[in-house]
Amino acid sequence: MDTFADRLSRVAALRPDARTLKQRQVAEASANSERLLQLLGGETCFNRLGAHMIVRRRFPQPLPGAMDSRALRLIASCPAEYIGDPYQWLFLDTETTGLAGGTGTYAFLVGLAWWEEDSFVIQQYFMRDHGEEPSMLFALLDRFAQGTVLVTFNGKSFDWPLMQTRFQMRRLGPIQAPAAHLDFLHPARQLWRLRLKSVALSELERQVLRLDRGRDIPSETIPQIYFDFLRGSPPEEMAEVFRHNQMDLCGLASLALHITRILAEPEKCEACAEELFGISRLLHRRGEQRLAGQMYRKALDGGLPKDAELVARRELAFLAKRDRDFELSNAQWERLLGNSPEGLKAYEQLAIYYEHYARLPQKAASLTREALVQLQEAFHSGSISRRPYMHWHSSLQHRLDRLMGKLGL
Amino acid sequence: MPDRPAQSSTALIQVHEIIQELAPNDAANEVVTSVQRYPAKEAQWAPMPDWVLPELAQAYHAKGIERLYSHQAEAAEKARRGENVVVVTPTASGKTLCYNLPVLNAILENPDTRALYIYPTKALAQDQLAELEDLDRKLGDKFGVFTYDGDTPSDARQSIRQQGHIVLTNPDMLHSGILPHHTKWTRLFENLQYIVIDELHTYRGVFGSHLANVLRRLKRITRFYGRNPQFVFSSATIANPGELAGRLIGADVDVLDGNGAPSAEKYFIFYNPPVVNRFLGIRRSYINETWRIARGFLQRGLQAIVFANSRLHTEVLLTYLKKDNPVPPGAPEIVKGYRGGYLPLERREIERGLRSGQIRAVVATNALELGIDIGSLDVAIMAGYPGTIASTWQRAGRAGRRKGSSCAVFVASSRPIDQFIVKHPEYFFTGSPEHAYIQPDNLEILVNHLKCAAFELPIEPGESFGEVDLPLLCERLAEAGYLHRSGDFWYWTQEAYPADTVSLRSVSSDNFVIVDETGEPEVIGEVDFSSALSTVHPKAIYMHGAQQYHVERLDFDQRKAYVKKVDVDYFTQAIRYTQVQRLEVEETEAVQGPASRSHGDVQVRSQVVGFKKIKFYTLENVGSGKLELPENEMHTTAYWVTLERLLLDPLPFTISERQDGLFGLLYALESVASLLLMCDRMDLGATIGEGAPDLASAPAERRLESAPEREQFFQPALYLYDAYPGGIGLSEPLFHLHDLLIARTRELIAGCACEKGCPSCVGPAGETGDRAKEVALAILDRLSIRDSGFGI
Repeated sequence: MDTFADRLSRVAALRPDARTLKQRQVAEASANSERLLQLLGGETCFNRLGAHMIVRRRFPQPLPGAMDSRALRLIASCPAEYIGDPYQWLFLDTETTGLAGGTGTYAFLVGLAWWEEDSFVIQQYFMRDHGEEPSMLFALLDRFAQGTVLVTFNGKSFDWPLMQTRFQMRRLGPIQAPAAHLDFLHPARQLWRLRLKSVALSELERQVLRLDRGRDIPSETIPQIYFDFLRGSPPEEMAEVFRHNQMDLCGLASLALHITRILAEPEKCEACAEELFGISRLLHRRGEQRLAGQMYRKALDGGLPKDAELVARRELAFLAKRDRDFELSNAQWERLLGNSPEGLKAYEQLAIYYEHYARLPQKAASLTREALVQLQEAFHSGSISRRPYMHWHSSLQHRLDRLMGKLGL
Repeated sequence: MPDRPAQSSTALIQVHEIIQELAPNDAANEVVTSVQRYPAKEAQWAPMPDWVLPELAQAYHAKGIERLYSHQAEAAEKARRGENVVVVTPTASGKTLCYNLPVLNAILENPDTRALYIYPTKALAQDQLAELEDLDRKLGDKFGVFTYDGDTPSDARQSIRQQGHIVLTNPDMLHSGILPHHTKWTRLFENLQYIVIDELHTYRGVFGSHLANVLRRLKRITRFYGRNPQFVFSSATIANPGELAGRLIGADVDVLDGNGAPSAEKYFIFYNPPVVNRFLGIRRSYINETWRIARGFLQRGLQAIVFANSRLHTEVLLTYLKKDNPVPPGAPEIVKGYRGGYLPLERREIERGLRSGQIRAVVATNALELGIDIGSLDVAIMAGYPGTIASTWQRAGRAGRRKGSSCAVFVASSRPIDQFIVKHPEYFFTGSPEHAYIQPDNLEILVNHLKCAAFELPIEPGESFGEVDLPLLCERLAEAGYLHRSGDFWYWTQEAYPADTVSLRSVSSDNFVIVDETGEPEVIGEVDFSSALSTVHPKAIYMHGAQQYHVERLDFDQRKAYVKKVDVDYFTQAIRYTQVQRLEVEETEAVQGPASRSHGDVQVRSQVVGFKKIKFYTLENVGSGKLELPENEMHTTAYWVTLERLLLDPLPFTISERQDGLFGLLYALESVASLLLMCDRMDLGATIGEGAPDLASAPAERRLESAPEREQFFQPALYLYDAYPGGIGLSEPLFHLHDLLIARTRELIAGCACEKGCPSCVGPAGETGDRAKEVALAILDRLSIRDSGFGI
């Protein structure tokens, strides 16, 4: 007769995943925790839900001074003035057991940071084992209640919802959302995606802030380092994770200041054309039409790559048209004419101008005819697919028919 | 739906005409073996229960419902009282009202109330959504009802979680989309009062065993939120609805199987394609016959649904019918296919076309068998027996759901099970329906769900999960790196998201994607892992939308099959080679013979080794090829009959004749077993092995279709095994059904009109050998419990 254990040995779902079991227990987990504590100069904190570990670091740094609230409101909508008060800022960055989210992903290391007098203070909360999660979360509860402006990099869609899940799983939440949440991922993406391939925080530090992290671990190795630590691996690698988290928090603070400064006085910004283009896009999306127009012009003057140039001219042309600055607007359209989508749009817009504003239907008709020729070429060369082709064709043909009617032809 | 009495009576006249036309010389009723008439039945009414709120009663009133059928009233009453209940009724008897009435009433009484409805397919949930939205409009927007499935746009998900009073989903989405994110569903779980599981009978075998585990997880989550919701099931007729529902949720469930709904007149016709060669037992192709019958109905302007049992046959029939019914270029097609591999939008469009009547015929696999509302069709034609009494009635129910007369036709294939049914109509019309078996404690399935459970909530001390030693399992999972123990709790310690790697519908979740490379590469469909090797192996002809594709290459690692459009006059069929090795005998017992019956654990190795090319229309074999594909290995459970030498030696046949007879017998046994077990044919495998204990480890077993040269067995054992790792509970019932299995198999072979074996009993004469039928019968005589008539 087969024993239960024999049966288990045949179950495929019980076979170890080769990648996961790097090493077996080499030391008692508790001894490792003790060594980690020493390595990092941390302490064990107790509360009514148990114990967890805390590491505190203080970096001398003068307080940045009041920040431009108007610029910050381009990032998060919050009417309160205190959004620009650096004392109200609380930085958050978590290290987790995975990126998938869901109820089985844990934030085992929660890094917080804030300015205090003339220091930048980092406080890291760590669960040395799953059993320490309630105590760690309980301590954080207190901290989150104090901070009014949460500052993160991708925290809107990742860190904050994950914290909420953890609080709920331990029946401590949901907790109230912070009064304001400044997430710098999206502004960073808008500002630098064109220039940089990746807008990962470490990449921005290197390319934009010119900071060098020195030795660092790849972030994708972090979950496994924690699992290994749980199973008794030496704590040195875990200490590296703490360091990584500290660097993320420092980098986040620098980036936040940098972006805020750019947005406070975009017109004075001495950035390259790609960055200027990014700034204009951001301002434009946030409804800062006038500034956006200025920045598009500045970016175009600096010389943009082809795709960005087309977009910048198109947007500038629309903004100028809105201000009834037809000279500026038409100048852009003239330069866009061609068989690209923007080029066809340019024919259309110029035709509208000549028909309705300049009252030169003859000119409008000839532009429309030219556009139809361009459209055919684009379709035959394969640069425009069937559906937009059909759309453009019917709209241009319709316009031409109407103009011809007007001209009595 | 408007009444169509005039049209219906013509419909009936036409049915008679068509029968006449199809079988003009069928004096002995060999072709049309049965014409059952089901007269119209009066409804049995009950008043609207007095607890139903006036506004709800009014909303139903506005839909034309002022009183209930007796079974609806009874079911609603039980659900109202908080009992777990399963409602067993045929198609179109108003089963959704049985649960909608109490659920909606509870929501109107307390707007915090939440309900979760689980349907086996997205399409069914869509259909119910329309019904509930209509009720909601009539109530003046009093509740929120949404479907939540893979098609739900991500920006809509947030509001569904908050505002959905009733969320309609499927087991797969519950498993991978809802349970792992339960904290986002707090509002639902904290107020969850009803869980409705529709189409209970579909949850058998692997799928049912998975669902039982998903429900274990669901119950853990509801406990976390302090709820203990009640379950309401609905089911087509099966033998053990209460037992199945009870095993699914691990609690007692009351069965209600009365039916107060009226029904219209209906004809059910059994059609056996005429014999064209009595000597070889060859009949006309049932696919071609189905085509002819469907064509007859279509020519008379009747709307028809044609069911085939495989994707391949769906496509073949679709090709034929489309050629018969050409439409001008650009005009919408009037004949459509409908099966699992189609994309959701395509399917919605077909459902609409059927309802509006623009589509005149649809060729479907079982995707359309369930209760999707496609309006009332005139005729349902089944190419081949659907496998179970329950699903045959479901398919037949697609014709004439509401009023007027209608007709269902079953066209038998030459498979033994079909021939048995078509020649024994009484088995179908008066016999008990099948049992549905599941094995929730199949370790392979259970362990996978235990991982998911640990991801969702840490495993607590003293918790249970099925009938297994949970602490031991957790320890094993920790050793393998999946869990970590902290205090008395077990926590998930993997980056991977466990639900992603577990598919509820097949062995593994990875599907093969079909990429059409004729022009710009384009994904045209998917096939699941288990059928990939036999449908998209290199050089296979894969069919999609009646277009043939030649499989250029199969990228096993990337799970991709690259195909190109072709136009050839054949399709392909894979050849599989299978070996069984015995691992552990659970129970064994001497039986009539001398022989023994046993069940226990086995290891099965199988491999697709080649394929045959089969010509359209004539179905002749026009070529073959060899394939080198990865071998598939699994541990599973099996039932087997070992024939002792004393049984075989005295038989007056040569050794090779005996071997032929054994393979013929196995062929018939497998068919009858799947009939008795109500399982998909895919769930059961069969092979022959050496039964003598000292030789048992010799892997010398071959399966009939792939065994050109057959070994000699000392003491042969005929194996029927569960085609799923770890087994899904088919083997033990077979062990207990041994006598019945032998008796029915004997009836099948003895009752077959062929002379020396045919595909309908022991397999085609050309392949099984001249005396296979004779030998199989001789062995069966020895295995049969003797009464006065047999074997002295």
